[in-house]
Amino acid sequence: MDRILLSRFQPLNRVLVHDVFNTGQNGWMEIMPNFCEAPDFEESPSIMVKHQWPPVMLSTATFRYPGSHGSLSGQYSLKVSTRPVANPYDQPPAPGSLGHAIKRLSFHHLKRKYLQFEMWFAFTAEQDKVDGTGELPGLHEASIRGFGAGWDLQERGNRYFAGVRYLNAVDGTLQKKWQFIYPSSKDDKDWAYGTDGDWCIKGVDPFWFGRRYADGRHDGYKDVVNGYQPLCYNETDCKINWQYLRLLIDTEKREYVEMQCQDKIFDLQRHPIYCVSPYDRIDGLMNPLVWVETDTQRRVFLFVDSVVISQE
Amino acid sequence: MKLFNASHLEVKKDLIQDFETHPYEVGWADECIFFIAVENVSGSNSVLAAAVEISHDGVHWVAEGTISEPIMTKGLHFLRVKHFGNWLRLHCRITGNNPVFRLNIQIALKG
Repeated sequence: MDRILLSRFQPLNRVLVHDVFNTGQNGWMEIMPNFCEAPDFEESPSIMVKHQWPPVMLSTATFRYPGSHGSLSGQYSLKVSTRPVANPYDQPPAPGSLGHAIKRLSFHHLKRKYLQFEMWFAFTAEQDKVDGTGELPGLHEASIRGFGAGWDLQERGNRYFAGVRYLNAVDGTLQKKWQFIYPSSKDDKDWAYGTDGDWCIKGVDPFWFGRRYADGRHDGYKDVVNGYQPLCYNETDCKINWQYLRLLIDTEKREYVEMQCQDKIFDLQRHPIYCVSPYDRIDGLMNPLVWVETDTQRRVFLFVDSVVISQE
Repeated sequence: MKLFNASHLEVKKDLIQDFETHPYEVGWADECIFFIAVENVSGSNSVLAAAVEISHDGVHWVAEGTISEPIMTKGLHFLRVKHFGNWLRLHCRITGNNPVFRLNIQIALKG
């Protein structure tokens, strides 16, 4: 490991992934539906339209007035974006209102206890039109509903999602707080917005399942204790600032341990991670992922400069 | 070694009217092919015409000049683009009587 890695990150003693997106996409791609149905590799039927999640791309963060912003480690970062569509917060997410990037690897040493995600990131809204009110009507911080990072995992017969999101805004009102993935729905039907027989299972895919409520609650997430944290959002949408995030979980006890953003460490108090029965064929699956969601009819962006995934 | 990347812009979507593809950043690449795979087409006199657009900011767009032949049949079609800045998209016009194109559009980049 070089000095830059050690000074920008705090990896556990086994580094699985050190991706610097200035060199390429490094295997991170958008989440797509499964194409396994007849007659011509059709999607599995679901109430959730997943083919509209936009493509991820290598970005120079180029804007209307300043030109190219570049990245922390060079000129390119990984950009996760949304389409300019959104439903009110308390409805299921509109097709295209979320964007994801995922990398697919696997547990090759099952006895390692801790798993950690670290990234340097920035976020902003598209500088498309001046449509705000009051002071700074052309600043769109509140258009970003949230972004997050975590994993889709299955090991030793346990399928689970673990991750944290920054809930930035709900229907235009800033929230600026951290939440972690944990489902509170009654059952699978409740998880799928009251739909019977959808293929989803409570706890799986919390990004787009789990009821949402107008006050910001979400049946897929719980608030991090003392999780309020204003992050740096520059004075104009065309200036971005690189920031640091770390999440540590215990894959032996299947518990959250702690998260860190910038220099603030949040104790996740050994909260259990919700596990479901294993899916066929995918034991050992380890998929780190990041996502971003828009709160209004405007594209929003999560830029990721670099990621480290480590185990111990 | 060169970089190559292909990304989807639309997947198995039934398109019935004019549309633009998602703004895509291509600054690292030297060459681009937009693949337009028509999985199905219905209606009568249904025609899809795709035109390449460029942009300096991903918000404001102008025609680059490359335009597809009229697309009327199932199968794989493409447009090549060789000179661009940081942004590319397709502006697609759909005409006909009750036209429906089921499309997969992919952007293939190399550089």
